[in-house]
Amino acid sequence: MKERSVLGALLLGVVLCACKSAKQPELGEPLADLTQAQRAQFDEGKKVFQRVFEPKDGLGPLFNSTSCAECHEQPVVGGVGDEIEIHATRFLAPNSCDPLFQEGGPVIQQDATPLLRAKGIEKEQIPPSATSQARRSTPPLFGFGLVDAIPESAILSHERRHGAYRDGIAGHANRTIDGRVGRFGRKAAVATLSDFNAGAFPQEMGVTTPSSPVEETINGTPVPPDTDPAPDPEITAEDIDKVTAFTRFLAPPPRQVFTNHTNRSLARRGQKLFARLECAVCHIPKMKTGPTGIKALDRKTVALYSDLLVHDMGAALADICLGQAHPSDFRTELLMGLRFREKFLHDGSAKTVQEAIERHGGEAQNARDRFKALGDKDKKALLKFLETI
Amino acid sequence: MKIITLLMTILAVGSFAAATPASEINRLKSDLIGQCMGGREKCWKFQSLDQIKELSVKNKTEDPQKRVYTIALRLQGTKDSAKYGAEARVEYVKTNLEWKIKQVGLLSLRKVE
Repeated sequence: MKERSVLGALLLGVVLCACKSAKQPELGEPLADLTQAQRAQFDEGKKVFQRVFEPKDGLGPLFNSTSCAECHEQPVVGGVGDEIEIHATRFLAPNSCDPLFQEGGPVIQQDATPLLRAKGIEKEQIPPSATSQARRSTPPLFGFGLVDAIPESAILSHERRHGAYRDGIAGHANRTIDGRVGRFGRKAAVATLSDFNAGAFPQEMGVTTPSSPVEETINGTPVPPDTDPAPDPEITAEDIDKVTAFTRFLAPPPRQVFTNHTNRSLARRGQKLFARLECAVCHIPKMKTGPTGIKALDRKTVALYSDLLVHDMGAALADICLGQAHPSDFRTELLMGLRFREKFLHDGSAKTVQEAIERHGGEAQNARDRFKALGDKDKKALLKFLETI
Repeated sequence: MKIITLLMTILAVGSFAAATPASEINRLKSDLIGQCMGGREKCWKFQSLDQIKELSVKNKTEDPQKRVYTIALRLQGTKDSAKYGAEARVEYVKTNLEWKIKQVGLLSLRKVE
């Protein structure tokens, strides 16, 4: 009898240990399986991510925000923000896209430091040669290290020739200006997390870096020298690497598990509908990372709900071109962490998930129509499923 | 007066470019492979020599430990993609009596074709 009790206690211990190790990190926490050194990089990077820049530290003269965390703040650091920024480019049909770097594009800074304001410049203007402008909301960064670790070949494997899929869904990878496969940004025009972070400092905060050692221009005109007191570069490569480590090791959001039976079965039904309506053709539920020396990112499954390709979403949503993405092309939005967002679509203009679905067009029109044709109970089930992501 | 200054500048830059030996240009090109400049949509990662359609040296400064080039580039990502004109700052440092590339900073970038 005593032996049985000891055995029982041991088994319970093993089960509890297993449960503990399988526990998902909470929102804003780092990935499980990080080494002590990687955990330290995450913590150091979070500090730089939250660093508030002032003009004496290199902020501006033109900028959109004073820190990374100013825009990525809700519900925790690394999440979303209520800021909307402005982008502008030039598109000439059928295939010519100019990001207007020489005129201040594609990110048009919306704020200026007091020294620049004293010269009468309060923000950057839309370049005269731009053919369109776009509004962009802040995406949450949870799980982006896993997205970064997905091999290019996995993204390309989902490309289809136009019309090859019976529902008219094509989709293609966007390419960066240097020819790599893009995956980050609403038009997938950025290849890696490291590239994104290196560009976010100069373009969002006006902070020069070793790889961008001169200030962003004011629509092509260099900033007046007496408006930029900090010596260039205004941040070190090491600090940018720390921010990249923070974003790389930020865990994906934990899945919501309903304790209530009704919600649980509704969400299960919604998951089936998500597949049946063919939402999952583009919002691919899972992809796998490639081999890497970082154990926490090595051959892991990531529930991103995207194919990372750009698709024609119809004329009603069209805005700017970027790389090989036409004005109506958008990268399939990652639904990972959807339930933590308060605004939807690339520009934050949809107030609810349902509105966002109902505004899908182009290649997604058939799936949207199937959603609209659902009865109330099925619509509710699908939306309940999306609350679990 | 302005025209004379402009002509002198063009001549100076032209003669500097012509004065840069081909071996130095080739060394610069090969050292750039694997380097990144800029960031986000405005990022260029040098992946192959084929991408560097033209490279000329506009300026070069050197002290015993550091060498800095300002270069003009014409770049093309792939055979069918757009061409870009760029200016970059390439910094070398001397380690163990050898010059090693340290970093590349993007000074300007524009789509040209």
